[in-house]
Amino acid sequence: MASYVVVVFFLITLNFFLPRALPGAPISALDDPRSETYVGDESSRIAVENYYGLDRQLGDQYTTYLEDLVQGDLGTSIRFNAPVTEVLGDRLPWTLLLVGTALALATGVGMVAGVHSGWRRGRRADKGLLALFLAIDNFPVFFLASIAVFVFAVKLGVFPLSGARTPFSESSGVLAEIADVAYHLALPATVLALQFAAFQYLVMRASMVGELESDYLVLGRAKGLGDRALKYRYAARNALLPSLTVAGLQVGVAVTAAIFVETAFAYPGVGRLMFESVADRDYPVMQGCFLLLSVAVVTANFVVELAYRRLDPRTSP
Amino acid sequence: MSRARSPLFWSGATLVGTLALIAMLAPVLSPYDPRAVSGPSLVPPSGAHLLGTNDAGQDILSQLIWGARSSALVAVLAAGLAVAIGVFVGVGAGLARGWVDAVAMRVVDVFLAVPALPLLILVAALLGPSGPIAIAVIIGLAGWPAIARIVRSQALGVARRGYVDAARGFGAGRLYLVGRHLVPALGPLIAANFVYWAGTAVALQAGLAFLGLSDPTEVSWGSVLNRALSHPGVYFTSEWTWWVLPAGLAITLAVVGLAFLALALEPGSNPRLRRS
Repeated sequence: MASYVVVVFFLITLNFFLPRALPGAPISALDDPRSETYVGDESSRIAVENYYGLDRQLGDQYTTYLEDLVQGDLGTSIRFNAPVTEVLGDRLPWTLLLVGTALALATGVGMVAGVHSGWRRGRRADKGLLALFLAIDNFPVFFLASIAVFVFAVKLGVFPLSGARTPFSESSGVLAEIADVAYHLALPATVLALQFAAFQYLVMRASMVGELESDYLVLGRAKGLGDRALKYRYAARNALLPSLTVAGLQVGVAVTAAIFVETAFAYPGVGRLMFESVADRDYPVMQGCFLLLSVAVVTANFVVELAYRRLDPRTSP
Repeated sequence: MSRARSPLFWSGATLVGTLALIAMLAPVLSPYDPRAVSGPSLVPPSGAHLLGTNDAGQDILSQLIWGARSSALVAVLAAGLAVAIGVFVGVGAGLARGWVDAVAMRVVDVFLAVPALPLLILVAALLGPSGPIAIAVIIGLAGWPAIARIVRSQALGVARRGYVDAARGFGAGRLYLVGRHLVPALGPLIAANFVYWAGTAVALQAGLAFLGLSDPTEVSWGSVLNRALSHPGVYFTSEWTWWVLPAGLAITLAVVGLAFLALALEPGSNPRLRRS
């Protein structure tokens, strides 16, 4: 708990100091005659600095930043001219839908393949699956997304190129709208699911291999239990616990992959928003995305750690 | 060592070796200056331009050949930096024990918890258009905590071995112990982590360039991909197959090759299947 609070506080502090510490940052650019956003006029520069509170002590600025943050104020988007929290709130449901769908698609596949592969370690099926998933796991996801667009959206024409729904479509009922959203979701969710499945598979397989030498399997075999029962009811169940940690790590994978996949498919989630904010130099939104995504990853790991303690008494202090 | 002869090792080593050779021989191999306008824009592949030209009339094959150099530079620099800091902190903490160790590991835990890509995007965007060296430095700074943690736990084990105790008994100093016993004993682990981070660095460099976060005048695989994909209509002509596909394949082969090599080099009979 204490370490979780420390990490979140560290992220919040990083988010405050990075723009003020790095050269070429938006704030120091105001003072730099060589930068494109240099404010030449002395009095208007002072006015701008006063507006952003830059003329005050760093400590003062920091406490104001913390106070605003506690009240859910992350600043105002330069591009949308709206509160950053509002912009993030508009985009977050799309990311949750995309990541949630991909996880649902991937978890079963990755686990079953991992159990099967680990149980038959070193055999042909294992070697084939291992090579396949290792390649997928390391395949740059933005390139995979581009291949998917080219093959399935352009050449075969079975899925839309980009976006999350058909623009300007006349709403013809709830069902049609759901179908439209699902139709746009299929391709990006599949690409994301491949990444998740590969990760899940690798951990499940390693964990399954770890169970192979266990005494309880020898005993089970000695008392005449069938292969299927040993594999699923005994080994797989015990191998499941380490893969719970994966659930937490998956959020880290999800954040990275979502930034790339949403960008490649122009899917209107938080990842795409971060990309857009970079292109638009919309620094408040960029920082908001950083804070939301990194706190999500840290929180997921914290929750998994708590769940772990409940499920496995050996890890409790 | 049977592991060294595994198909994983050979496929990884062949890919990495070939790409390293291309990077080294770039001036000899590339038919044109990658930045020079060497033909009309968007010419499909032909005898004069094996992979055609981009929208500015630059030879795509030459850009990919020189891109290997940019990737190699970032891979070596970023992995070198991450390993140097990681080994320094890891070995230092493992040897010092006590409060130094405790403080170092708390710091490592905090840094490890921060997801790399959002942080790299924020830093790269705040730095402004960055060349390969700046990109390599920020990737290297993101990579050290993971290495420090692994190296420390291994260093603790090595430091407890009999021959280290014996050396200490004969009056060996700390620096001597580190140079003579600890680093050689950790060699295979350090090598595997170096290769693993080289692969991660290539993927991250390309990813940041794909997101438009590298200097646009820089010749790299990721910037070729970024330029191609932001060209309107790239999907609707044959351009995708000779502009996007080769650049994507170059990145994929390098990343997969380095990842396979890292796995094959990983010490221990039950290779930790990655990501710490």
